[in-house]
Amino acid sequence: MRFPFKAGVFVFAAVCAIGCSAGNSGSDQRSSRTADGKPDFSGIWQANNEAHWDLQAHGARAGMVTQPGVYPYEYAQVPAAAVVALGAAAGVPASIGVVEGDGQIPYKPEAAAIRKENGEHWIDRDPELKCYLPGIPRAMYMPYPFQIVQGGNKIQMGYGFSNASRVIHLDKATEPPDDTYMGHSVGRWEGDALVVDVTHFNGKNWFDRAGNYHSEALHLVERFTLQTPDVIHYEVTIEDPNVFTRSWKISMPLYRRMEPNMQLMEYRCIEYAEEFLYGGLRKQPLVKRWEGETMIVDITRKVPPGDKLYDWYRR
Amino acid sequence: MSRRFLEAVGVAAALVAVVLLLRFARAPLDAQTQTAAAGPAPTTSWGEPDLQGIWTRDSDEPLQRPAKYANKEFFTDEERAALDKQITEIVGREATEGRRKRGTEQDVGGAYNAQVFTSHIRTGKRTSMIIDPPDGRTPAITPEEQKRRNDLREYSLALLQATDVCKDKLPACAGGKYGPPSPRRSETPPLYIINALVGSGGGAISRSDGPEDRGHGERCMAAALPDFGGFRRIVQSRGQISMLYDVGQGQGWLRVIPITDAPHLPPTVRLWWGDSRGRWDGKTLVVDVTNFSPKSNFQGSHENLHLVERWTRIDAETIRYEVKIEDPTVWTKTWTVTHDLKKQSDELNRIYSEPRCHEGNYGMVGLLAGARATERAFATGKGPNPATLCLGGCGGFAGGFADDGDDANPLR
Repeated sequence: MRFPFKAGVFVFAAVCAIGCSAGNSGSDQRSSRTADGKPDFSGIWQANNEAHWDLQAHGARAGMVTQPGVYPYEYAQVPAAAVVALGAAAGVPASIGVVEGDGQIPYKPEAAAIRKENGEHWIDRDPELKCYLPGIPRAMYMPYPFQIVQGGNKIQMGYGFSNASRVIHLDKATEPPDDTYMGHSVGRWEGDALVVDVTHFNGKNWFDRAGNYHSEALHLVERFTLQTPDVIHYEVTIEDPNVFTRSWKISMPLYRRMEPNMQLMEYRCIEYAEEFLYGGLRKQPLVKRWEGETMIVDITRKVPPGDKLYDWYRR
Repeated sequence: MSRRFLEAVGVAAALVAVVLLLRFARAPLDAQTQTAAAGPAPTTSWGEPDLQGIWTRDSDEPLQRPAKYANKEFFTDEERAALDKQITEIVGREATEGRRKRGTEQDVGGAYNAQVFTSHIRTGKRTSMIIDPPDGRTPAITPEEQKRRNDLREYSLALLQATDVCKDKLPACAGGKYGPPSPRRSETPPLYIINALVGSGGGAISRSDGPEDRGHGERCMAAALPDFGGFRRIVQSRGQISMLYDVGQGQGWLRVIPITDAPHLPPTVRLWWGDSRGRWDGKTLVVDVTNFSPKSNFQGSHENLHLVERWTRIDAETIRYEVKIEDPTVWTKTWTVTHDLKKQSDELNRIYSEPRCHEGNYGMVGLLAGARATERAFATGKGPNPATLCLGGCGGFAGGFADDGDDANPLR
């Protein structure tokens, strides 16, 4: 290895990464401004909230997908077969939500119906499960870290999920020749705020795992401000006349990952989604039951030998 | 739906991607030739060498030195002009209907038909990108690597043995023989299938039992380090450098290199693109890369690959890239590759910055569904034995060149 492990090196690196996000320049020199005086967003960040489950304020749910239970009440749903074997790990935590105002998204009536259907068919429809590019703003608050590299005229953002990325143009750049998953981002400085217009979406992304969605007419205005050197206040105004009755806003803090040796790790999920996408086309399928393109999962949950609860129960 | 139709869908998808890439690739290169003499290499506002911008190679140089040019490090200008002319003629002939042999197994056998990749940039000055060893060739491989390659080759030939590729004694069957379907068709391949080691065009092996059989390229997982083609968009800030690699058919990825003295990740962590650690050596960014995954692949090297890259902006328009490649389980010596990257217009923004190969991989569905349809047809007496059809490693027409003869790539 080129850099042999030395305790001194490690301590130095640790002190540095806490004290100076900007690299190995020694004592606490972290500045929240770049050399040309702009707020410095460079570093590794992550949302720490439930927005990836559902942007809207919501109570806890029994499963990522649920089905009617024995009691016929909406609130008495039970986990659906696809996730039942995961037990309590299959549920969805409650959240105060990130939508400003009443916490609800102003859907047009016909769009609200599609959103409801999306939620009911989460496994079939959510592009995240297929490892598709997550789009903006979803990539910003998925439960994966992301990295901002702030150059002069370009800001590049790399996301853990699916190794997605985008570049924010602060200078002039021609538009993409086609609509995109990640959008076309054009930024400008408004005082100490980085304001980014995002357009040219292809309409294939969702906002979250609850089925909240948009069309290709999506237009975002993102606003990044440094609340402290280690917290970005992130705010997005969302506009899509095909789906919403008016523009609406989400906001949340994004936190710096403070681990001294933090680095962005790859999550190359294409391979992980192959069984899900192509498993039914195998010569010898690993999932045994398919009806056309529908995967039928038979759940087998075995009680391990020596399980105290079950041993007591059987006595 | 017929297998052929499904495969055509895959080819169409590939064509769209290629056309887009070509459109992006051409314009900046034309503009490039008109730029005046390059100024000095700039530095960033915080005083580091500035590598930022969109970069690509503007000339084609073979990785290994062709035997014809042994002991010769550089082409003369006359040789370059003659090679460009020869390549244009070969590829031009290839574009005619008669030469494409439409409908042959080699034509349709692979989803991503290699004969559409016929764009070429001008021949560069070097007779090989390899500068060490001095003969411009990859070093000898180790006996264990030779055995791995032989095992895969034997397996691959067993899969081809009942097909027309072997019946017609085509180059892809070299070393094999024509015969009845091999029982090895139901064997798990001897290696995690990555890419064909021999032959060209289409998938890796002549089997489509599942996505793994199709190889990394058709699975949209071909992007690997080191990479000598495509575009880079480099953005840097103090302490970190990000490089968007626009490579292959929408198989790009973002690499972020930390500038740090910290040790590499523990050996238990294995990554497709390895673990990069950068430092500045004068004007040069030096990047040490280890911790590759057993699933990553560079010329047969997997988890033991070790790279030392050197990125130097030698003038305003040029980055010189050099990489020392080491894997004692594959090669008997280290070797070094170099090439120059030329700056492209930021404003034109001609970079395919959105990898969406996977999102549009209808070809994979077509290939697998086609293979299942062929099996069903055979089982009911309505179609040929699938073992007699070549589905990958069939050879033919890579980059518009023939496998051998007058129309083979003169730089191979």
